[in-house]
Amino acid sequence: MPSRLEIKLKQDLFDAEGAGIRRKAREYFGFKVEEIRVIRVLTLDADFSPAQLEQIQTEIFTNPVTEESSYSPIAEAFDWLIWVGFRPGVRDTGGSTAAEAVEDLLGMRLGPDQAIYTSKLYEIRGDLSENEVRKIATHLFANELIQQWRIYSRDDWNIQEGIGFLVPKVVLDHKPKVHTLPIRSDEELTRISTERNLALQQRDIPVIRQYFLREDVRKERQAVGLDLPTDVELEYISQARSDHCNHNTFRGLFRYHDISTGHKEIVDNLFKTCIEAPTLEIKAEKEWVISVLWDNAGVARFDDDHYYVITGETHNSPSNMEAYGGAITGIVGIYRDPMGTGKGSKLILGLYGYCVGHRDYGGELMPHLHPRRLLDGIIEGVRDGGNKSGIPTPYGLVLFDQSYLGKCLVFVTALGIMPARVGNESSHRKTTFPGDLIIMSGGKVGKDGIHGVTAASETYSEHTPAGHVQIGDPYTQKKMHDFLLEARDEELISFITDNGGGGLSSSIGESARFSNGCRVDLDKVPLKYDGLDQWEIWVSESQERMTIAIRPEHLERFMELSAKHAVESTFIGEYNDSGYLKLDYRGKTCAYIKMDLLESDFPQWEFDAEWTSPSLRGLTEPVLSEPVDHGALLRAILSRPNICARNWIARQYDHEVQGGSVIKPLVGKRRDIPSDASVVRPILDSKKGLAVSQAMNPFYSVIDTYHMAAATIDEAVRKTLAVGGDPHHLAGVDNFCWPTIEYDPEKNPDGKYKAAQLVRANWALRDCCLDYGIPLLSGKDSMYIDGNLEGPFGERRKVSGLPTLLFTVTSLINDIARCVTLDAKFPGDLVYVLGETRNELGGSEYYQLMESLGLHVPEVDPEKLWPHYVALHRAIQEGLVSSCHAVSRGGLAVHLALVSMAGELGLDIRLPLIPGAHGLTVSQILYSESCGRFVVTVPPERREGFDKIFSGLNIEQVGIVTESPSLSIRDENGHAIIEEDLFELKEAWKRPFEGLT
Amino acid sequence: MRQVKALVLTGYGLNCDYETDYSLRLAGAQSRRIHINQFITGKENSFKARLQDYHILVLGGGFSWADDHGAGVLMASKMKHHLGEEIDRFIREGKLIIGICNGFQALINLGLLPGFENRYRERHAAITYNDSGNFIDAWVNLKVNENSPCVFTKGLSTLELPVRHGEGKVYGADHVIRQLTANHQVVLQYAAEDGNLARGQWPFNPNGSLEDIAGICDPSGRIFGLMPHPEAYNHYTNHPDWTLRKEALIRQGKQFTSEEGEGIKIFRNAVAYFRN
Repeated sequence: MPSRLEIKLKQDLFDAEGAGIRRKAREYFGFKVEEIRVIRVLTLDADFSPAQLEQIQTEIFTNPVTEESSYSPIAEAFDWLIWVGFRPGVRDTGGSTAAEAVEDLLGMRLGPDQAIYTSKLYEIRGDLSENEVRKIATHLFANELIQQWRIYSRDDWNIQEGIGFLVPKVVLDHKPKVHTLPIRSDEELTRISTERNLALQQRDIPVIRQYFLREDVRKERQAVGLDLPTDVELEYISQARSDHCNHNTFRGLFRYHDISTGHKEIVDNLFKTCIEAPTLEIKAEKEWVISVLWDNAGVARFDDDHYYVITGETHNSPSNMEAYGGAITGIVGIYRDPMGTGKGSKLILGLYGYCVGHRDYGGELMPHLHPRRLLDGIIEGVRDGGNKSGIPTPYGLVLFDQSYLGKCLVFVTALGIMPARVGNESSHRKTTFPGDLIIMSGGKVGKDGIHGVTAASETYSEHTPAGHVQIGDPYTQKKMHDFLLEARDEELISFITDNGGGGLSSSIGESARFSNGCRVDLDKVPLKYDGLDQWEIWVSESQERMTIAIRPEHLERFMELSAKHAVESTFIGEYNDSGYLKLDYRGKTCAYIKMDLLESDFPQWEFDAEWTSPSLRGLTEPVLSEPVDHGALLRAILSRPNICARNWIARQYDHEVQGGSVIKPLVGKRRDIPSDASVVRPILDSKKGLAVSQAMNPFYSVIDTYHMAAATIDEAVRKTLAVGGDPHHLAGVDNFCWPTIEYDPEKNPDGKYKAAQLVRANWALRDCCLDYGIPLLSGKDSMYIDGNLEGPFGERRKVSGLPTLLFTVTSLINDIARCVTLDAKFPGDLVYVLGETRNELGGSEYYQLMESLGLHVPEVDPEKLWPHYVALHRAIQEGLVSSCHAVSRGGLAVHLALVSMAGELGLDIRLPLIPGAHGLTVSQILYSESCGRFVVTVPPERREGFDKIFSGLNIEQVGIVTESPSLSIRDENGHAIIEEDLFELKEAWKRPFEGLT
Repeated sequence: MRQVKALVLTGYGLNCDYETDYSLRLAGAQSRRIHINQFITGKENSFKARLQDYHILVLGGGFSWADDHGAGVLMASKMKHHLGEEIDRFIREGKLIIGICNGFQALINLGLLPGFENRYRERHAAITYNDSGNFIDAWVNLKVNENSPCVFTKGLSTLELPVRHGEGKVYGADHVIRQLTANHQVVLQYAAEDGNLARGQWPFNPNGSLEDIAGICDPSGRIFGLMPHPEAYNHYTNHPDWTLRKEALIRQGKQFTSEEGEGIKIFRNAVAYFRN
């Protein structure tokens, strides 16, 4: 008989959570909600004695100072109640920690059929209709993909029974079975692939059939009791050949055709030509590049004794469906990559990037989640994922654009650090040897993430696991992280990798390539619930799991450490050199595949790529006269969603944990202006720092993706240099998010153009990386950022996200004492602008405000810019610079304002002195987004030394820092073009999101 | 000189252990990070550790047991059931306990704080959700009660430290708060920029804590809990204004006199307590 404990804050205590929801209900929907109070519900699905129940209630779950609780319903004085609980199979961390605490308290173990579940009951007071309550339930509380909900009015509430006993237990009435699949023809296999959601690539089907029909293969298979391919085998091949695991798009063949010039070119493999080749070339020159292009993350030297590790990826589709769950799974998931790089690294940083529709979107399209709710959920997911992992999240970007209504983008980037050596070996090396044991550590396996998208359309029953949308569990993973670092330091680990996409199928499949074979007992894999088919165990993407190879003699110690950290580890098989991947279930073989099958000649993907130049596409500069009121214009730009303060996000993220914060996300006198880059001191007794920054400029993609990519890389580079980064140590991570590039006359008529956009962006990536000497330590591509949204007439409209590149740059800081922030520091300091301003307003914030696009997109000339960057670094190293800021979106006017607002000091600027100003209009000078530029302030007494370093370069002293709090920009006659109180500017900049905490 | 031994608890979602350990070592202690289970494990093995071998016990920051059922609640429950007597003995022997953030929440839930009349098992106070309803990372100004018996804050009158929490509001019935104040057990209070008490004003008081309370001690002053993180101010570059201060110093012909952050003073006081 289950019991139900209901806990709530005492009536006279302020309910902050309830108040937050009330505020949203009023703000979002205008509902007259007077009060919301929260009741926490624990459903104990086990038999406890009355004495035990009382112990559970009073000794653990009720705080006598603030809370009251009861095993009977305690809701009172409400107009409506909304109950929200998880669907069966959804990760309920609160339920498992509750079970852990109860077991500890009572000194017992819950049986396999017993569990504790958490849910919430909301007491709502206010004059609301049932429809309004329903809307609160579905639009604020519950996402039906993972949660179930009920509403009760005061009248239909049964005071004795309350919500009853809702036990979201997974019951699968299913006996696991391996199926063999007929492959008489390509058509038959195609049909089976569709029926079973195998998602096999059409081009791969003949290759797969040929393999299973080969005489030698058949003979060997018969010897282990197999004949036709099993579902386990085809699932394995499908996973391994997926675009996600294999980057088929980037490795594809592009027939590039420039319509304007007639130039045609075959581009064979973007990954090889634009990512791998330049990175290897740079690696050969830079000894600090340690490990690239093969492991879960890239590795570079931090100092003689340490390496740093970095990678980034996206978690778009899951976040788009369930924002909180998708985002937390994304950030917690990316943390496993550095953990599984080399012999394993300690996580030191997380970064985020969000691209969503406008927060106040009021249009007629109906995305699955409104951008406001979506963004809230994403922010909270990354918050809990980062904060609860004890990893600082000190940097991130947010971009609003209508094009992301179709699918939001959630970028997550993770950095780790590891000792340069583990035992006698460099820590970046790892391999599996025949005889090594295969261990799975971390969580258990359920139906999570299996065939994600198709599962979403299946019908629900009360006990169907809703596993395709997951909720990451930082608690379980943090325990595992601590455990694995200890195991690494005791030299117990031969090989380690994470279980992400493809689950065991990828982690074991890939790690077994080193030893050239493996054998796994699928029945040994610990399951969340019974009834999983063998293939499901093999490909499940249940989170928080790592696969580790250890020598047999280390097993005992490994398990002892695992137990110490309360981490579940299971020995599930061993590596060998048989040349085969062999999977058994209760002694019977269910998969037997040659290791080299996946290296065989699968056909390359092919794309037509047609480029039409911007002018041929009809793009022109807009017809605009010079604005008269530049002060009002500047305030208007500062209030735009992609320029204004979004500080409420950074403040929710712990950016101080680990104790090495040097340059924080928000800097300046009031700690409210976003920093160019973040700097941390990962080794606390060292003066060395690690700087990291990111950039994205998808608006330029609409004109030319080549320049979009170049400008993005240049911006990220400049931001790290602005805080003191070293131009001779710049490392990059490229994260591409692109709409579908496969041409289809109906579904994707502009596919060829989008393919050409991808090629051009990659060319810029190649060129800039070579010119700036940036090895790509890591990178990922995420295609298909399109959505088909329901419109007002029942139609579906395709919305494609802008081609987006998020570029991350890391750099080293030799002595953190040399770091610089962007805030103007003292009156009398000289203001310099470094780098040329040109007529480059295409895609700019200013043109967007004027509702136009333009043609002249910012272009980058790395050769010309490089000497500026080297000189700037020298000036910062010599301690000559008082503040430094990279000019980016919005142009000079916006970024001068930020420097002024950060220091709460005025600036007096002479417009004609700005490098490149001659021949430009005032608005071009103020709002052009030309690359390569910085605003630098220098005290007068350091002027001489500073000027000397920059002699012959494009730099001018354009004004001074003033005591009076105003931003003055004057023309050649000294007349003010802009004369704005900086506090008013700041108010305009903060206003759009000021109510958010 | 006498060796002062400190231990920083780890495991079950606790974090901040590396920098807390580092801070203790900077302060002159011989410090170790030790997993909670090393004290609990029944059998003798290579992990086994004993509380009594240490002078300073640190319950640091983090999200123990994910904070799912109230911050620090499950950690307190675990410690009470497995380490209750050892902790009593630790206190009787005149040793020091500091709880930072999640550790403070655990000390409150254990009843070690406020510990009125040395009754260390009674829960009189609570730490609950920030009034804002959300997690916040911000540096705060703190006013130190110089009349407090607190060993850790001796010689300090003000302090700046970061807070990072979603549940930091110190709450208790009126008489509890009055008693805390009367006993000078209120050690740290949130202050505005001018040094006066924040009087509940956000963001100076970041969580709505009653009487701006940021940290309290037991009547003996040897058990101390605080929401702000002293270990996160272990170096001068941790301070949000350090680049401005550096420029100001240079212009006066000066430079930072010490690399050490102000937060280390808390740990130095703890070490000094055993040395003197």
